[in-house]
Amino acid sequence: MSGVIDVGARVSRKLTLSERLYLPGILQGMAVTMRHFLRNLFAIRRLPTILYPEEKRDYSGRFRGKHILTTRDDGTLKCVACYMCAEACPAECITIVAGEHPKISYEKYPVVFDINMLRCVYCGFCVDACPKDAIWMTRNYELAFFNRKEAIFGIDKLVAKPGLPVKDGVGYRPYYPGDGTRPPGDSSSSPVIPGDGERAKLREKGLDLHHTEGPGPLNAPSPAAKAERDRKAG
Amino acid sequence: MVAGRENGAARKTLLSTVEAPPRALSPAAERLRARFDGSPLGDRVEVRDLDLPTVEVAPDDWPAVARFLRDDPECRYDLFIDLAGVDNAKRPGRPTRFEAVFHLHSVTRDEHVRAKVLLPDGAEPRLPSVVEVWPAANWFEREAYDLFGFDFPGHPNQRRLLCHDAFVGHALRKDYSPGQRWFFAEEDLRMPAWAMDTEEKAGHFETQTISIGPSHPATHGIVHLVARLNGERITRAETQIGYMHRCFEKMSETHTWNQVIPYCDRLNYVSAMINGVGYVRTVEKMLGVEIPDRGRLARTILSEFSRIMDHCVNIGTNLVDIGGLTNFWYLYQPRESIYGLLEACCGARLTVSYVRVGGLAIDVPEDFVARSRALLESIPKFVDDVERLVTRNRIVRNRLGGTGVVSKEQAIAWGFTGPMLRASGVAYDVRRSRPYDFYDRFDWDVAMATDGDNFARYLVRLEEIRQSLKIIRQALDVFPASGPVNSDDWHVVLPPKDAVYHDMESLIFHFKLIMEGIRVPSGERYEWIEGANGELGFYAISEGGAGPYRLKPRPPCFPMMAAFEHMIVGSTVSDAIATLGTLNVIAGELER
Repeated sequence: MSGVIDVGARVSRKLTLSERLYLPGILQGMAVTMRHFLRNLFAIRRLPTILYPEEKRDYSGRFRGKHILTTRDDGTLKCVACYMCAEACPAECITIVAGEHPKISYEKYPVVFDINMLRCVYCGFCVDACPKDAIWMTRNYELAFFNRKEAIFGIDKLVAKPGLPVKDGVGYRPYYPGDGTRPPGDSSSSPVIPGDGERAKLREKGLDLHHTEGPGPLNAPSPAAKAERDRKAG
Repeated sequence: MVAGRENGAARKTLLSTVEAPPRALSPAAERLRARFDGSPLGDRVEVRDLDLPTVEVAPDDWPAVARFLRDDPECRYDLFIDLAGVDNAKRPGRPTRFEAVFHLHSVTRDEHVRAKVLLPDGAEPRLPSVVEVWPAANWFEREAYDLFGFDFPGHPNQRRLLCHDAFVGHALRKDYSPGQRWFFAEEDLRMPAWAMDTEEKAGHFETQTISIGPSHPATHGIVHLVARLNGERITRAETQIGYMHRCFEKMSETHTWNQVIPYCDRLNYVSAMINGVGYVRTVEKMLGVEIPDRGRLARTILSEFSRIMDHCVNIGTNLVDIGGLTNFWYLYQPRESIYGLLEACCGARLTVSYVRVGGLAIDVPEDFVARSRALLESIPKFVDDVERLVTRNRIVRNRLGGTGVVSKEQAIAWGFTGPMLRASGVAYDVRRSRPYDFYDRFDWDVAMATDGDNFARYLVRLEEIRQSLKIIRQALDVFPASGPVNSDDWHVVLPPKDAVYHDMESLIFHFKLIMEGIRVPSGERYEWIEGANGELGFYAISEGGAGPYRLKPRPPCFPMMAAFEHMIVGSTVSDAIATLGTLNVIAGELER
């Protein structure tokens, strides 16, 4: 906390003679602009403007641009058509039609997954909502269309191309602890104990929690998965 | 959170019983009660204690109560803050269907109060206008007429404000279907009655009525100014707005609490971060959620950066309007680097959507403190350059000095807040009068001036940039190097992704939050913070549903734009342009 300062009283309302004569003021102003001009001229590489489109702005690894649908190792979409992103979307721009996947362990998949890029407000809520790490946003912001129909992106336009540079930051995507690149399915070193705060609160209320007591080792791999991993590691 | 939930449950059981036991009033409400008891109005008002002391009154008594609230030496609620209409059609337990909710502030006593006018059912909703008590009520009443169909007998100019003249119905009533479309043709445009008056039009050839805007470079956004000129001088003016009305309030009623956040970015889009913070603070207060220090400080730092950005844009564009283009480039450079910082935090420059109820979307990046410190180094250089170019420049002095003068009394009567009010000699700053986050622990000064002209506003804004830098520097010093930014209450905040992928319980919390939304206990709340151009408030009503029952932002520039047509009478057109620049009117926020 501190006081109040009267900035009006600090600046004299009366101008001096030289200030009233215009010319010194003009010269002074020219000096400031000249300094900027020369500095820019001799450090042209550090100019704040860029020569778009030859030169592109380097956005951060969290940039919220065009969406992609990520894939599993076998090329199928990670999306299980749970509708959570469509539900979270404040602009209601996602359309999903779910289908039954022939492979039993995948259960569901999106037959249709459309995003209307003109409705989208690029808020990233779909990425936050996805429980399967299936939708990310990329650093691609160059979205221009000739008509409205073109702006509705289906799976063909949304599916991630192979060889995505994950390490440099593709764009806005779920934030994992650690180095930020660890995908789901390998969280053995997670610092997070799920549900910890909640359990403590319920306990304070005197609720019996014996059936959910203790998170146990986080996502302990099944013996079969462990054997598989060991085999891969050689 | 737990407390908030229990509170909500308790209230519900109270509603089902016959009579609620009388609750002890807070000291402020008790004082108000005593004050009313000592006056002839004592038995005609009901004083309640909600988040603010609340006076409930019938429409017939409203003008007398309004005068009492303004004039009584122990009340002196002279600054009109907000008027929000409420339609209780889907809100059981309220005595009447329509309510007009007023928020007022006392400059001398630094306090807010709420007044509710309960409009009886069975007749058209009607309450006497209080424009004579608070001139600032003018546009607010027009807005309530437009969106709720409230009739204000005695209002000088009761016309639609935000919706166009071919609009049918009142959009914010609960029985208005949002899918309807009303087409507006050019011939539907209604000019003010005086502008069409043939007698006014006749006369000297130098007297004419012109339209400045809606699309005019000087209006910065879409504002239509109808001005009557005598030579160069404006003799009468009226502003018509509504070209950017995007139904923020109606849309938020059909979305969840979190889904409103991206809309908030589009209110004052020059300092989008502050809107988000103001909104989620309201919801967090209703929930009773506490945010970790790191999250709060990150919000504070980015809000102050946004304030700097807002002032840079305002000073820069204002100087462009009066012919000084260079400053614009110098001031846009810090803005550019602040945008870079915001983008590194949340992934977007303008529409940040960074805050969430209960914290932030994601943690700040690792180089957050270093980048912010680098900005603290670079911004003052540009500000100094502008000061060197502008402050003692004779042309600027001639254009800004002595133009657009608003006296202290006028500023209060017109409901000004923020730099506009401070430049007129009232040091009202929400960060000081009701410190939130950590503003009471930082060492900073409220910048004010007494001249009330355009130049004083420029000086106040320039000083506020420096004070904001000072606040950021202190906030960075105490910024925790690590730790959570979000509350750990998973009824409100999404669990960490890592947990969602691998833990059933977390996934359930995640699912409930996405599919059902946050459950905010029923009740109402008005929370206000210092926006870049004044007091930014959010009045929210919850009925325990997934989204707001009613959400009314208090846009700081709304009363200033309303006063614009009075400020420019007698000045020249070019001075009016300079004045419009210093008002800092952001169309997105003005018309929502």
